[in-house]
Order: sequence, then structure tokens, then C-alpha cells
Amino acid sequence: MKTLLNISVAALILAGGAYLYAEDDYEEHEHRSSSVVAKPMTKQDKTTMALYQKECGACHIAYQPEFLPKRSWDKTMNTLDSHFGTNASLDPADHKTIQNYLATHASRNDRMTGMGGEIAMRISETPNFKREHREVAQKMVTQAEVKSFANCAACHTKAASGSYREREIRIPNYGSWE
Amino acid sequence: MKYLAIVAMFSMSLMAASPEVVQYMKELETAAKTENRSFSGFDAARGKEIFTSTHTGKQGKPMACTSCHTLNLANPGKNALTGKVIDPLSPSTNPQRLTSTKEVTKWLRRNFMDVYAREGTAQEKGDVLTYIMKN
Repeated sequence: MKTLLNISVAALILAGGAYLYAEDDYEEHEHRSSSVVAKPMTKQDKTTMALYQKECGACHIAYQPEFLPKRSWDKTMNTLDSHFGTNASLDPADHKTIQNYLATHASRNDRMTGMGGEIAMRISETPNFKREHREVAQKMVTQAEVKSFANCAACHTKAASGSYREREIRIPNYGSWE
Repeated sequence: MKYLAIVAMFSMSLMAASPEVVQYMKELETAAKTENRSFSGFDAARGKEIFTSTHTGKQGKPMACTSCHTLNLANPGKNALTGKVIDPLSPSTNPQRLTSTKEVTKWLRRNFMDVYAREGTAQEKGDVLTYIMKN
């Protein structure tokens, strides 16, 4: 079942939707796209994904590349020496592999409409993210267990596997969402 | 071959670092001698000072290695910015530590920049590795 789910999630992404963020209508999208046959991951794909998760997941959740477009990832990768105040530089070979991985899986949508030409460096700056989180109280986010919106996995219990369903949300000290 | 493996295992348990990291430390030693004529070997006490002292970091704020790794290397640390848990640095608690030169050089480069706002010298890197190995 989990494999099936993964395949349909992959299919969804390949379908160009990159709709990781939908609320509970997520399932409907999943159904609709389940007829799309996803290309199975090659051994190389798996190695690359593991590298991405290891390197970028060392300090924070390895954000799914589908959340930002290529130009955001390129800017991120070109400024790793000073990455949100820390040095996150990689060796040249890994840098190239990860930059390509991000470019391949980046959102096909711009995701920055209404940002006045700014290139989003944070997923939480994008209008889509803001809309999805508009009802979340500030105190839920700033509490010690969460720290900031950058910490997806603090509330989205399956964020690491790319699943952001509403019913999987558990906000520390507040519990489920509605 | 078997003898070599035994020697390798013995030196690993003795050194608390894998043969490739031991080799890297030899390279650091050579570089340290070039940097400083009076260099006479790495020192865990100097390493401890490097590890525990506070400096103006990359962000212009006070920062120490212990800001994230804590004073007890056998305990897990916590990334001061993101809150993500960091596995213990102590090789005797966490055998994954000091087994890959690629990992070691990456984190020394990044973390010296974050804490000291500059690269570490060969001697400093060797001292701090020697300190970690003994914890």
C-alpha cells in the first residue's frame, strides 16, 4: 500500500502538479492521477535522493524540491557558503549532483506570483504556503518545540516522506488540526 | 592480510578514528609542521580550548562549537538555529564519527567558518580532532 502510495505521489509530481500542499482534497488528486504510470526510480535516482536527504537533511528536513521552482533552488545552491547564516558548502561533485536533482524535481509552477519579482529563498515566503498556513496561530509556530515555519516535521508528522495531509498534522501542545 | 586487519582494528580502537581519518591526521601533521616550525604534535587540551571557547561567529554573534554539540560529547547535540538533533560527536558513543575523511573535512570547514568566521589551521583541526577522539 505504501509503495502504491509512493508511486501515485510520484505520478502526481510527474503529472506536473507538484501538489504536495493541497489540504484534504489531496486524496482526490491522487485518485485522478493514479492512472498515470510513474517511471520507476533507477538505482542512480535512489542514490541521488539519498545524497540529497543526507546532505540537506543534516541540519533541517530535506525539503521536497517540488516546493520551489528551479530559480529558487539555483539561488540557494549558489549561496551555500552563506546559507541562512551558516556555511553549508558541499564538495564540488556533491554540489553538482544535488543542484541537478533539485532542478529536475523543482516545481514547474513559478510559485512566486505576487512577490514583486523576488526569488523565494524560503518555502514559507511563497503565497501558496502562506495561504495554507493562514489560520495557524503565531504562538503555535514560535513555541520551542517548533521554532519556525522552517520546521515542517514538527507538525506534519509524515513530512519526511513528502506527505502533508491535514489529518497527519499534530501541533506540539495543541494536537490535531481542527 | 589477516595481520594487517588486526593491526587496523587495533589502531582503530586505540585511535578512535578509521584508518582513512588517521591518514588525514598525518597529512594535517605534515601541514602543521610547515605552518609552524616549533609544532611538536597535536594536543587534546588545545583542542578542548578550541572546542569550548566562545568566538564571534559568521553571524557576528557569540558562538562556540558547544553551542550545538554541548559540553559533553557523549550526549546528542542540537542545531542552535534549526533545533535538529545532532548525534553525539564522541566516537566511543557514536562509532560513525571520524570514519570518513570526506565528512570530517566538510564539517571542519563549515563549522570553523560558523564559529570562528575563518578556516581552521592544520594545527587547530588536528588539535580539535585529537580532543574529539579522546572523548
